[in-house]
Amino acid sequence: MLPYLPLLIVFGVAPSIYALDLAFTNVGGGWVGFHNFVRTYNDFRFLSAFRHVLVYTCVWLGALIVFVVGLALLLHGRANRVSATFRFLFYMPGALAGSAAVLVWLFMLDPSVSPGSFLLHHVLGADIFAQSIAPGNLPFIFAMIAFWTGAGGWIVVMYGALNTIPHDLEEAARIDGAGPITIALRLKLPLMRKWIAYMVILSFATGTQLFVEPQIVQTASFGLVPDTWSANQLAYQLAFRYADFNGAAAIAVDLLMIGLVGAVLIVTRSGLFRTDD
Amino acid sequence: MKINLRWWFIVLALAASAASISATASAAERTSVSGSLTVWVDAVRLPVAKLYAKTHPNVHLNIVTFDGDGNGATTMQTKIQLWNRTGHGWPDVIFSEQANDPVWMGQKPFDFALNLKSVFPKNLLKGWPAPSLAQCTVNGQLVCLQDNLAQEVLYVNQKLMKQFGYSVPTTWQQWAALGEKVAKDHPGYIIGNIGDSYGAWLYLWADQCPVSQVIGPNTVRINSGDVHCTRMASLLDPLIKSGVVPPESVFTADFATKWGGDNDKILLMPGPVWYAKDIFGGTLHVPAGELTATLPLRWNNEPLVTGQVGGGPWIVSRHSKNTAAAVDFVKWATTSFAVKSKVNALSPGYPSYAPAAAKWLTALNKDPYFAAPEGPAMQAAANAIWKGWNMVTYPDQPVWSNTVVTQLVAGKSLSSLLPAYGDGLAQNAQAAGYKVVRK
Amino acid sequence: MRLRVVGLGVRLTVLAMFAVFFIAPVVWLVLAPTKSDKALITSSPFSFGDFHHVALAWKHLDAFSSHIFRRWIGNTLFYAVSATAITLVAGVPAGYGLAIGRFPGRKLVLSLTLVVMIVPGAALVLPIFLELNAVHLIGSSLSVILPFAFFPFGVYLAYLYYATALPPSLLDAARVDGCGELQTFLRVALPLAKPIVALVFFFSFVADWNNFFLPYVVLADSNQYPITVGLWDLLSSTPSFNPAVGGGGQSVKIFKPELALATLIAVVPVAIVFLFSQRALVRGLVGGAVKE
Repeated sequence: MLPYLPLLIVFGVAPSIYALDLAFTNVGGGWVGFHNFVRTYNDFRFLSAFRHVLVYTCVWLGALIVFVVGLALLLHGRANRVSATFRFLFYMPGALAGSAAVLVWLFMLDPSVSPGSFLLHHVLGADIFAQSIAPGNLPFIFAMIAFWTGAGGWIVVMYGALNTIPHDLEEAARIDGAGPITIALRLKLPLMRKWIAYMVILSFATGTQLFVEPQIVQTASFGLVPDTWSANQLAYQLAFRYADFNGAAAIAVDLLMIGLVGAVLIVTRSGLFRTDD
Repeated sequence: MKINLRWWFIVLALAASAASISATASAAERTSVSGSLTVWVDAVRLPVAKLYAKTHPNVHLNIVTFDGDGNGATTMQTKIQLWNRTGHGWPDVIFSEQANDPVWMGQKPFDFALNLKSVFPKNLLKGWPAPSLAQCTVNGQLVCLQDNLAQEVLYVNQKLMKQFGYSVPTTWQQWAALGEKVAKDHPGYIIGNIGDSYGAWLYLWADQCPVSQVIGPNTVRINSGDVHCTRMASLLDPLIKSGVVPPESVFTADFATKWGGDNDKILLMPGPVWYAKDIFGGTLHVPAGELTATLPLRWNNEPLVTGQVGGGPWIVSRHSKNTAAAVDFVKWATTSFAVKSKVNALSPGYPSYAPAAAKWLTALNKDPYFAAPEGPAMQAAANAIWKGWNMVTYPDQPVWSNTVVTQLVAGKSLSSLLPAYGDGLAQNAQAAGYKVVRK
Repeated sequence: MRLRVVGLGVRLTVLAMFAVFFIAPVVWLVLAPTKSDKALITSSPFSFGDFHHVALAWKHLDAFSSHIFRRWIGNTLFYAVSATAITLVAGVPAGYGLAIGRFPGRKLVLSLTLVVMIVPGAALVLPIFLELNAVHLIGSSLSVILPFAFFPFGVYLAYLYYATALPPSLLDAARVDGCGELQTFLRVALPLAKPIVALVFFFSFVADWNNFFLPYVVLADSNQYPITVGLWDLLSSTPSFNPAVGGGGQSVKIFKPELALATLIAVVPVAIVFLFSQRALVRGLVGGAVKE
């Protein structure tokens, strides 16, 4: 235990407490109550930044839950070789670093270069890059990039989770005459609840912290995407451009609260910490 | 014998001292400054820094490249903040692509820039145009020196103009009328573009639109409803709609495909002097022997004013432990003919130091890429930059990009977007601590 | 029977569609450096150019800023490996301790670990910076390695693993033999550690390799950047994405093929780690309790 505890305290607990402290104090260190929160709330970029992040998170979580679980279920069954190949293919993009993935998608979203220009035209109505990244499309685009890199990993996890289901249970259900869809929905899905919950909690937290994707697209689009599109970006700008660390901490605490509330809700609704299952 | 020896000794001594005097004179650049120096440059200024290191072996030069704070980035603000907090780590010299960087660098809480008035050779300072020095003056202190000027001129494709039998416009009105003709007779050809992040500088600055006018300490006028702004927008709207002034950036692959290279559809283009060979020849692959530059457009018979697109400054750090070398570096980079006399990687843009500019222009005028010498127009435009658009501590490019360009792409008219543009600028100004006057 | 075949067909189609979605961009990326900048726009996205262009693209990329690209890759390897080494040494025993230990505050440490995983990065980076500054570590590689080494996800994985995979009988045997804590660890936990070490190594290495925010904030000198921040630096230094550079930026020959090559090279080490960890991942991911 010994080596870990200092790390936990120095880089986990202490910074969190310090961030809380910054959020409730001012530059001189004096206590200001909720003043920082009110002040940042009134910043002209605050509402749109949080709205963007919430839309993004909902789209992303939705995609994760539906497609990750769906694909894992589809993969599970017989034909292990085929399944392994598909899993590997889904997993490959996870190798791309945050900025690398965005670079790739910058090209994918540029109709003059992308192999998917047909889709760009018909789905997004985009003939030039500037149209692909029109403000209304952004939450979906960022969700797609995050899904592209992150889904593979979770699919593997879900697949592994499915593998823990005892074969006899499946056999029994099959003997009883249940079709594959019924087995999936009635038997497999409920047993995956804990893992789905775990995925949603972590993804919810990371989703609200969105930074890399909008930051890089902002550079690459010559500023068509604002540098305060996401809440985390706004916090960064407040801290490092306006030297307003207290405001930045306030926003960070806002995000933390959202993450915690979400986590608590999910934990209680899904019984994640219950051990009797 | 003794007399001979003594005589030889004297001769040798004289010879040695003569040699050392001339050596000192020629190496005056080198031996007078020494020590170590850290400079932060963007990729484009890197060759300059490397050449300095080579020709000044007495100076131990540490070169760091960064994004140059281009396009309204905040890299330098972050870094300077961090250095201020830790109390060490500041570079001695910084080059920035953002003309408004020195404004916040010269004020609290960043307080980074050195006042060059006292340390930079005064006789050299005279070589900078007055507006350039004014742009670098914050609270009476000269906090930077512009490396190159970026005045706007009108680029003309002589070959195409002759081919279609058009005469080169000298006013915005003639330009717009020509645009309507082009839309009808030669659809697909363009006379300009408005999709770059600095579109406001090309069109609004050039028409004296007061949306970035410092009228007092920490007070800025942002009036996008001023007649200068609205009349230019009304002039541009039909042109944007008919497609002869598209809301696309010259730096996109799409632009090069549609109007550059093989298609060669750029008839006219208002643009800064640094477009010259690099953008038209390099990025857009326009064939040689077609392009030239003429005087920027004027509004009817009003006096000639034009806009400015960039023109990066050099800044010396107040915390530098080797100010002599730092100033020497900036001096060499901005005035030395070794750097500035040719149109190449060392000096792609129009030097702001007039004697160097004269040499640079001579070289530019001889360049066979152009159909006719561009120098005269560029020189004339240098003194016509409108002084009413001032540098502030917040970048305005992002506001233009995400409130105006995104909507232009979606089909809205520029006139309808001016209020939102003004609002966006005002919000940024207030967030940066300015008092805003909206009329 | 019919329904089964149709079902299989539907299944395969859906899986194939997603496979295309995941893989097509990667294929494009691999092929991109083989073409010239112009060819990328004009020719088919999946066409193969020639190796000559790849060599040319590498030459330009390497020449950028005095071979800084090599330094970036080197930095990232150094940071990721060092940090992961510390993570393994600190985290795996910690997970083991949490799983079998009966010490006061066990639940507290566990909950804290979980909570810290949810705290937004933006909140932690600045206080961490201030802490590092107080001990004069800013500017050294440790300012990146030490925070990287703190990897609560890895600790939690180790905890889950040891909580489920450890046969209680082994543990009891060791206790009965009168082993102390350290000896129990060496006799029981270590032999079983291979899958979890592989797992934590994988996640930690990938997370460290891909981390952008912390180094972006903490590192001032571009010579120290890891490749994630380096890619962004490259992006903002090229005419294609930074018009201010355009005036003379042509001498910096970084265009689309060079960017694609840079991205590809940035991905290779992680891809290698991926390939080698595939097995350990699928098997060990769910607490080593896969019933095959």
